[in-house]
Amino acid sequence: MNGRARRSVPVGAVDLAVRIGPLRLRNPVLTASGTFGYGDEYAHVVDVKALGGVVTKTITLEPRSGNPPGRIVETVGGMLNSIGLENVGLERFRREKLPRLRALGATVVVSLGGETPAELERLLGLLGRERAIAGFELNFSCPNVAKGGARYWAVPRRLERTLARLRPLTKQALIAKLSPDVTSIGDLARACEQGGADGVTACNTFVGMAVDLTRLRSRLGRATGGLSGPAIKPLALARCHEVARAVRIPVIGSGGIMDARDALEYLAVGASAVQVGTATFLQPDAALRIVTGLRAALAARGIGSVREWNGVLCGEPLGEGSAAKVPSRRRTR
Amino acid sequence: MSAARPVWRQSRARVVRQDDHGAGHRWLELEVKPPFAPPRPGQFVQLRLPSVANPVLLPRPMSVASVARSRGALRLGFLYAPIGLGTRALAGLGAGSEVELLGPLGRGFPLDHSGTPVLLAGGRGVAPMLFAADVLARRTRSGRAPRPAVLLFGARGRAQLVGLEDAHRRLATLGGRLHVCTEDGSAGPRGNVVQLLERVTPGLAGPLVLHACGPHTMLRAVALWSLEHGVPAFLAMESMMACGTGVCRGCPLPRSARARAAYDPVSAPSLHGNREWAMCCTEGPVFAAEDLDWEHIS
Repeated sequence: MNGRARRSVPVGAVDLAVRIGPLRLRNPVLTASGTFGYGDEYAHVVDVKALGGVVTKTITLEPRSGNPPGRIVETVGGMLNSIGLENVGLERFRREKLPRLRALGATVVVSLGGETPAELERLLGLLGRERAIAGFELNFSCPNVAKGGARYWAVPRRLERTLARLRPLTKQALIAKLSPDVTSIGDLARACEQGGADGVTACNTFVGMAVDLTRLRSRLGRATGGLSGPAIKPLALARCHEVARAVRIPVIGSGGIMDARDALEYLAVGASAVQVGTATFLQPDAALRIVTGLRAALAARGIGSVREWNGVLCGEPLGEGSAAKVPSRRRTR
Repeated sequence: MSAARPVWRQSRARVVRQDDHGAGHRWLELEVKPPFAPPRPGQFVQLRLPSVANPVLLPRPMSVASVARSRGALRLGFLYAPIGLGTRALAGLGAGSEVELLGPLGRGFPLDHSGTPVLLAGGRGVAPMLFAADVLARRTRSGRAPRPAVLLFGARGRAQLVGLEDAHRRLATLGGRLHVCTEDGSAGPRGNVVQLLERVTPGLAGPLVLHACGPHTMLRAVALWSLEHGVPAFLAMESMMACGTGVCRGCPLPRSARARAAYDPVSAPSLHGNREWAMCCTEGPVFAAEDLDWEHIS
């Protein structure tokens, strides 16, 4: 960087460890909720212990059967989904999935979904002291449900009060996952920080549509779905940057990350960690490849710790001549 | 049952050959090495092109049309029509090119089911049915109860009877019988496969069991016929998919009222569907006729 002679850093010596509040991650690469099952479904092809962490499919109090087909549509460089939070519900998750997660030894972040603050309180009350769970991601941003979705939660005061009610229920990390389809994602992130969140994930999918011209109707079962994949990366990267500049708690970047270079961009604009989602549908081991690629890329740049890279482009508005390295403000150590 | 772990693998495969198969279709052969397990008829793989040649995002589910073993590797055959961006790019790959595979995925045809098997194919749906005929013939030769392969092959017209010569050749080698029909009467009797089935059935030793692959309109007709006549039938369904492994929950098919009533959320694997929806990728793609709500399948 800046024409300085690079230190030589052996690939194996690169330190990838980061922290999201009380949550210690061996590396900054997590799976995104809804793309890796409940943590064990890909365990026969992916060493899940080598990932930074696994974020489960969103759990709700009761099982949900999800939306009618079509649920998936491929678009240019992306995919729309309208799954509708289909999940096995809290009871089956506790009975069947938690024992497997304990045995797996992975760092497991459980995604929780609720239509009201009270529902989230109930979920966290029941799971908050579970030792197999390293943290919780609160899904404040599902675009595909009629109640308790992204619109409902896009109110700063509601987010702040909800976080404040949830905070006493667990000592584990509480992470708020936000929707990009809002007037100011920075305002929402600040509200979560005020309420006591340990981190913010920026961001969930973008609301999108696709029309079947032959049958003249939506190609999805509902009118709209959530767009993910490389098509949204520049958009989500900007949201991540905006959030990183708005809060002091760590930010987890998410949106169209397909390889280590994408991850480096997110980390540079202020993310402490990243989530890999759609890429896993292409290659189940995508997140693991990104861990390997990240280590190699940092070593090649002479950077011994990912924390040196974190937020190098976060401190100032990103304009001409602003590529200077600035100290990270994020609490990632 | 819920403890059963998936056996599919993520693997690289090499194009061994690829050529025209008539009526705008391609025949593709891939070589893949262990631990990739041999697929069974009705199972599928998720095929993804190497990044440099890939104009699409998601992998494509491809039904397996043949399996052969060669020097410790598996040789998998596929029949497809290059109609979209992804399949057109696939058609451009020559021998030696690499692709990525996930598989084998889903549940295939229950060829051990009691009864005389009748295979029904519509258009390029013939691919897995020829594979099923191969397997049935092998079982017959290995001394199990004789199961003469009977294949009913229908399409709009002669041109859409994809790989008809290949079907004739393979059925002849296997000692099976091939009956064809077309909606325009350009080959075989005029009509659809259900009408052909009614015509052929009296000559077959009953009871029968049907295995079918083709467009959903054909499968619905076969399913309704089977339910009406009390003949077990197994249908290979299609759906848009993202992952192909039960994780994304993207390929639901509606369960019949009977299947919803029988659904047990405790013992049913979580990678399968739920009370309302069956996942095409893990529970299927082959379904028993009585398990789906045919009125609500498009």
